[in-house]
Amino acid sequence: METYLEAEGLTKYFDGVAAVEDVSFVIRRKEIFGLLGPNGAGKTTTIRMLSTVLAPDAGDVCVGGHSVVREGDEVRKRIGICPQELALYPELSAVDNLVFFGRMAGLSGREATARARAVLAGVGLEARGNEVVKKYSGGMQRRVNIGIALMNRPELLFLDEPTVGIDPQSRNHIFETVLALRAEGTTVLYTTHYMEEADRLCDRIGVMDRGRIVAVDTPAELKRQVGDPDQTTLEEVFLHLTGRSLRD
Amino acid sequence: MITFFRHAFILAAKDTRIFWRDRFGLVLAFLFPLLFAFAFSHALEDGGPPAAAPRLTVVAHEQHGVLREIWAGLAASGWAVDERTRQEAVDAVENGEIEGFLLFPEGFSTSVTTGGETRIHVVVSGNHPAAEAVLQGVARAVGGRVETLALAARAVGALRPARPPDAEAMLEALRLPPLTSLEVTRTGQRRYNPANFTLPGYLTMFVFFAAALGAGAIVRERQTRTLERLMSTGVRAPSILAGKFLSGAGRGVAQLAVLWTVGVLGLSMDLGASPGAVVVVSLLFVLVSAAFGVMLAVMVDNLRSAATIGVFASLTLAPLGGCWWPLFIAPEWLQVLARLTPHGWANDAFNRLMLFGASASDVAPAMLALVMFASVFGAIALLRFRFSPPI
Repeated sequence: METYLEAEGLTKYFDGVAAVEDVSFVIRRKEIFGLLGPNGAGKTTTIRMLSTVLAPDAGDVCVGGHSVVREGDEVRKRIGICPQELALYPELSAVDNLVFFGRMAGLSGREATARARAVLAGVGLEARGNEVVKKYSGGMQRRVNIGIALMNRPELLFLDEPTVGIDPQSRNHIFETVLALRAEGTTVLYTTHYMEEADRLCDRIGVMDRGRIVAVDTPAELKRQVGDPDQTTLEEVFLHLTGRSLRD
Repeated sequence: MITFFRHAFILAAKDTRIFWRDRFGLVLAFLFPLLFAFAFSHALEDGGPPAAAPRLTVVAHEQHGVLREIWAGLAASGWAVDERTRQEAVDAVENGEIEGFLLFPEGFSTSVTTGGETRIHVVVSGNHPAAEAVLQGVARAVGGRVETLALAARAVGALRPARPPDAEAMLEALRLPPLTSLEVTRTGQRRYNPANFTLPGYLTMFVFFAAALGAGAIVRERQTRTLERLMSTGVRAPSILAGKFLSGAGRGVAQLAVLWTVGVLGLSMDLGASPGAVVVVSLLFVLVSAAFGVMLAVMVDNLRSAATIGVFASLTLAPLGGCWWPLFIAPEWLQVLARLTPHGWANDAFNRLMLFGASASDVAPAMLALVMFASVFGAIALLRFRFSPPI
């Protein structure tokens, strides 16, 4: 498969401490790549560098043939970001949120409105799109959060723990949305603490710990490295790779 | 450049939409200043200068018809005549109760009606040159009219030396109300309307307050990662700052429109001889406030800091800058201190324009000072935003 994202030697320091150190991996076009790791492993910092929000201290990332460091604007046109926080305006309706971010991404008012309606249908909120977001349930707000990232029809979608704190129905809807996006040709980078979620969705998984990538492979291959792939869970693989000590 | 403005305007439109849905924000921006202005305007109205006639203290040593006519003439000219004994009047001057009085000596009426010479004495405290001028003016006016009586008496005496003039008959013949033609005109003084200084004061206070509290909007965007999301779509930091500045300025202009309209229509405010200058000063103060809000937003790390500093700055600068009382009645040190605040310059300009009939050129220094405040706040915001850690 064609490589869509290639990270090479990514490094970031905060106050002299390495948050991410010499991280290299590739994501193939149209695959769902899971980035797993305990708290403080460096996942969010890595995503921020991959998505041009944070400049790396060393290394570079190539997204769709464009350097994050040198061609940030070209990269931004191709990506959509869904942070783990609800990065939206609760006082506005779902439509208003989507149209606003769509227009900021370069769509005209008419294009943004049409795209917002399509996105709302995609995340199952077309009937309640005009209600203010603060009246939504947690799961509905998460779906709006994902919808915003889809407004500019991204080739690469970053989903940072998109299913935190929501009910099984909403979580299942998000799974279906992600799978549908992949079917349409979108490449997805997905982070989560739910191992069964990664096991179900991801084509390949990268495991991070203490700012470094400690393993990258398909879920089945990772399980095989620990034991019988039919008997081993991804959580056991995760604990095997990152240890059992508590993280802050 | 087109993209810069496009992003700024879309962002400002979004913030404006959120603002109009924020009930507390609306109350703070519009209702509070109006309530304060209405309450204090009405409270101060009761304590304003009395509408009674100016008081004129006189001392007379006789009760003759000529003096009665003089008192009546003065009353017809708008004076409240306060007749006292000489000792009472002197005591009143010495204890500061009155500033001076007119003394009509014994034999005044007889001298007037027989054509003899007489005097009107002006007794005044040495510390009141203005009172002295007023009393001299009244004395001259009265003197001019009694001079007519004296001349008539002399003429009668010359024509009919064997028969002295009948004082009462002469007085009756010459009675021309009012006896004096004195006209009291109050200069440099308008109708007293406390709203002319209470509303501009609360307007500056709450425009600044709303802008300072608006700083929390940027902090909230940073905390909820919407700012990061915006940056990841290619929006530049200056566009975001410009958008926040525009939305703050738009809020301020809306406040101006509502508060000035209610002030003029509901509180009968007088915008003075240069209403255009009042509008310009108001708009400049809005720009200062919006720039301060953006500067504060990029200097703090969290909502609590933004709110604390915003409230502290607003409640400190308001009294220092003459929002709660007119600066011209404040002690000199406070007037000097007010020059360090944008509120002080704005309120001084409003007072000059709306209370003292100043022109636009008279408040040009205040306008310049406000431009400088806005520039400094804006420059600090830009520098801090550019060199702050990536967001």
